[in-house]
Amino acid sequence: MSHTLAAYDPAVDAPTHHHPVYDYDSGPPVERGKFAIWLFLATEVMFFSGLIGAYIVLRSAAASWPNPADRLAVGITAFNTFVLITSSWLMVRALFASKRGDRNGILFWLGLTILGGSLFVGIQAYEYVQLVHEGAIPRGDIFWSTFYIMTGFHGSHVVVGVVWLICVWFRALRGRYTAKNHLGVELAGLYWHFVDLVWVLLFTIVYLF
Amino acid sequence: MSGDAHAHDDPHFSAEKVFLALFVLTALEVTWGFVARDLGKLMLWGGLLFFAFWKGWFIAVYFMHLKFEGWVVKSLILPTPFLIMVIMGYVGNDVADKEAPLLHPIGSMLDPNTGVVHERLEEIWKPAHEGTASEGASEETHSGG
Repeated sequence: MSHTLAAYDPAVDAPTHHHPVYDYDSGPPVERGKFAIWLFLATEVMFFSGLIGAYIVLRSAAASWPNPADRLAVGITAFNTFVLITSSWLMVRALFASKRGDRNGILFWLGLTILGGSLFVGIQAYEYVQLVHEGAIPRGDIFWSTFYIMTGFHGSHVVVGVVWLICVWFRALRGRYTAKNHLGVELAGLYWHFVDLVWVLLFTIVYLF
Repeated sequence: MSGDAHAHDDPHFSAEKVFLALFVLTALEVTWGFVARDLGKLMLWGGLLFFAFWKGWFIAVYFMHLKFEGWVVKSLILPTPFLIMVIMGYVGNDVADKEAPLLHPIGSMLDPNTGVVHERLEEIWKPAHEGTASEGASEETHSGG
């Protein structure tokens, strides 16, 4: 019995599930998404550090600086800070639910987190409207310039975070997250906690210093 | 929803305890912001920075799980405090010498047409509904605005 030795044709002969198997991983020992988000957050740290640094220069060089409590509604913003901290905790609960593969839990806790973030943005918008009505505009003086730049950039980050969380919520609604695959929730959560962290510092520097 | 069976979701830390700590620290910080205003800037700012640091610490270490991450993530984020110190060092260079005159006063406006530095923006520009710009301004400069 004889065999005809045909040429190897990968299109025909290669196993359909063939993947090269290496005994090493050339990537970092962490999920790519997590690596990327932490790298992004590192750049964000530098971004806000630049803003705060500029604020320190301008404030130190100014002949005088008003007491923030005389110009800003510290009480309502303190409440807003509690709102953002609470939403950060709700985000942790959403992540715990996703680690359990609890779809309804994700939807519930993430929904509350989105509500908290939206409330924060709403209160900040209300604060802006009140201030502008009183004549406090960005080009009024250096106090207002720095105030609007720092809180405005942070507020825009919160808006981006809320939009991101809404996208995650809809993905959860479609059952995209499981106990083994919940990286999407975790990454959104990291960004959300970072936004919370930045606000903790900005609230201290802008409203209480 | 799953409000019940999550007492020990993360064996590393209790989210509720961290949340409570953040809540208490924020309340103390706001109180300190009002109470310590008469104690001098050192006491006021020192206390506020103390509270802000620990709040940031709790969020980064526990909520962002930084304490339990591997060396890759830590090596990404840990250099940033050093870079912040570099930035603040350069900033400090600018603000430390109060006697050194600034090139232009903070908030001054350079009129691009005349090269004159004005103390306030209103000296070279006014919104259209408030009429024309005052002395020293050139009509051509802001005719479009």
